[in-house]
Amino acid sequence: MKVDLEQLRELIRLLDESNLTEIEVEHDDDRIRVRRDPAVVAGPLAAASVAPIAAAAPAESSESEDDATHLTSPFVGTFYRSPSPDSDPFVEIGDEISVGQVICIVEAMKLMNEIEADTAGKVVEILIEDGKPVEYGDRLFRIEST
Amino acid sequence: MFEKVLIANRGEIALRVIRSCRERGLRTVAVHSEVDADALHTRLADEAICIGPAEAARSYLHIPAIIAAAEITGADAVHPGYGFLSENPEFAETCAQCGLRFIGPLPEQMREWGDKVSARALAKSLGLPILEGSALLENAEDAVAKAEALGFPVILKASGGGGGRGMQILRSEKEVRSSFETARAESLAAFGSDAVYFERYLERPRHIEFQILGDSHGNIHVLGERECSIQRRHQKIVEEAPSVALSDEQRSDMSATIRRAMREVGYLSAGTLEFLLDEQGELTFLEMNPRIQVEHPVTELIMGVDLVAEQIRIAEGEALELPDHPLLPRGHAIECRINAEDPDTYAPWPGLVTELHMPGGTGVRVDSGIYGGGRVPPHYDPLIAKIIVHAPTRPQAIAKMRRALSETIIGGIRTNIPLHQRILAHPAFEEGRVSTWFLDDLQA
Repeated sequence: MKVDLEQLRELIRLLDESNLTEIEVEHDDDRIRVRRDPAVVAGPLAAASVAPIAAAAPAESSESEDDATHLTSPFVGTFYRSPSPDSDPFVEIGDEISVGQVICIVEAMKLMNEIEADTAGKVVEILIEDGKPVEYGDRLFRIEST
Repeated sequence: MFEKVLIANRGEIALRVIRSCRERGLRTVAVHSEVDADALHTRLADEAICIGPAEAARSYLHIPAIIAAAEITGADAVHPGYGFLSENPEFAETCAQCGLRFIGPLPEQMREWGDKVSARALAKSLGLPILEGSALLENAEDAVAKAEALGFPVILKASGGGGGRGMQILRSEKEVRSSFETARAESLAAFGSDAVYFERYLERPRHIEFQILGDSHGNIHVLGERECSIQRRHQKIVEEAPSVALSDEQRSDMSATIRRAMREVGYLSAGTLEFLLDEQGELTFLEMNPRIQVEHPVTELIMGVDLVAEQIRIAEGEALELPDHPLLPRGHAIECRINAEDPDTYAPWPGLVTELHMPGGTGVRVDSGIYGGGRVPPHYDPLIAKIIVHAPTRPQAIAKMRRALSETIIGGIRTNIPLHQRILAHPAFEEGRVSTWFLDDLQA
């Protein structure tokens, strides 16, 4: 079918002005559907949920392009690879890790927060240098599932 | 002198603080949630740190994340803005413990003024006029006697109540007799206590508030009043300064009373004392807000003072450098709060801002946190911009605001600009005949 841009624009405008999430128009064999993320549709604002952050924080993993997973920082703070300056790092590239294993520390407010892996696999990349600041959601490790 | 200030807030107030910092040569750190990664405060600060997910409880209200952001960026002071952690004494204390200067009042002052009951008692002890109230009511006979002593109408309040619940307006002896026992039973059921009392009820009050600044050298300045009577459910919508309802004598008397009171408690930083003004022209203390307020720009325009810059100077330990008391207002200023919401139903209206044109020209100031192509996230306050005008007289300020609103283009989302246009065009507003019921009357 040939897309009528003008018609499409009109539909988007209609959707914008309404509080619908989706408009579908069917004519003969042509069908156009415009939809949007329901989260941006107006309505009473949900009260902010008050979920406290767990004391021992699991790193949150996120899927990426390949079959590898990234472990991301659950806190803003300073990233440390080892429990103290003189000791060995928790993990090295090539190490197999299991769920619940401590893999690094993120220091916030003088508290050393041990970060546990929430996924098992092989550490293929360490993305942050020891002693560097990390933000919430920064990728720390790339893990390949085994 | 500070070197780097972290702003623990978002939206227009975060930008407002960044501006004063930059003009003072201070570097700035923005903190933001994941949905605010492209927000204006994130983009305009010197550094930006993501502190958590969209939910405010895990980002803008999460004290450890904010302190950690200050630590990793080497900030030496924190400005809390308004809302979020601005009135949280634990946050101010934690900042101090971590070697960060909190730009605001002392934690104990936030505690004293933050609790409405203790604030009322404190205000009374400092000689501020408070709304007359009765002791707890013992029985129906006692209630009638106390209501008559105060004068009708009275408002019956549950001692344990709050947020407008458990209140009843009573206009006669008969109403007191018929309502007393049920009100007591309701109070017991709702709040676990049958303790009830009366306050004098003001039918059509105006909301008047006085801006103060105090430094660590014992200086207190009162920077006049603002009128914020146009409200909806205690949310102010239009504010102006000065108020047409106060005489010069009343203004200078109340300023002197407040100055004396705040000197006695050694109040630090910016604060606002809110009052109700009854139809007889009497001011009574309502509450104190120990922080910068949304509507502070109208005071800045008529007084020629940068209140946020003064807050920073005060936190650095410097003395206020304002002209001798009393500071006299120059001209008239009006502020319209632009909310992302339906102008009729008030339903929040977040979304993508497809186009944006803000008003300009002589005497127009815009404090905004949005940009064309940016998103208004659904997680936070719907306030997206403040349009503030300054003109020599009130009629000129009204004309200027109408002109400014007519120039404003915000595409893609709905805003309350049409509501502002109706308010600004209303004869009662033009004549300055307003009360906190103005919007209810407008929609009736």
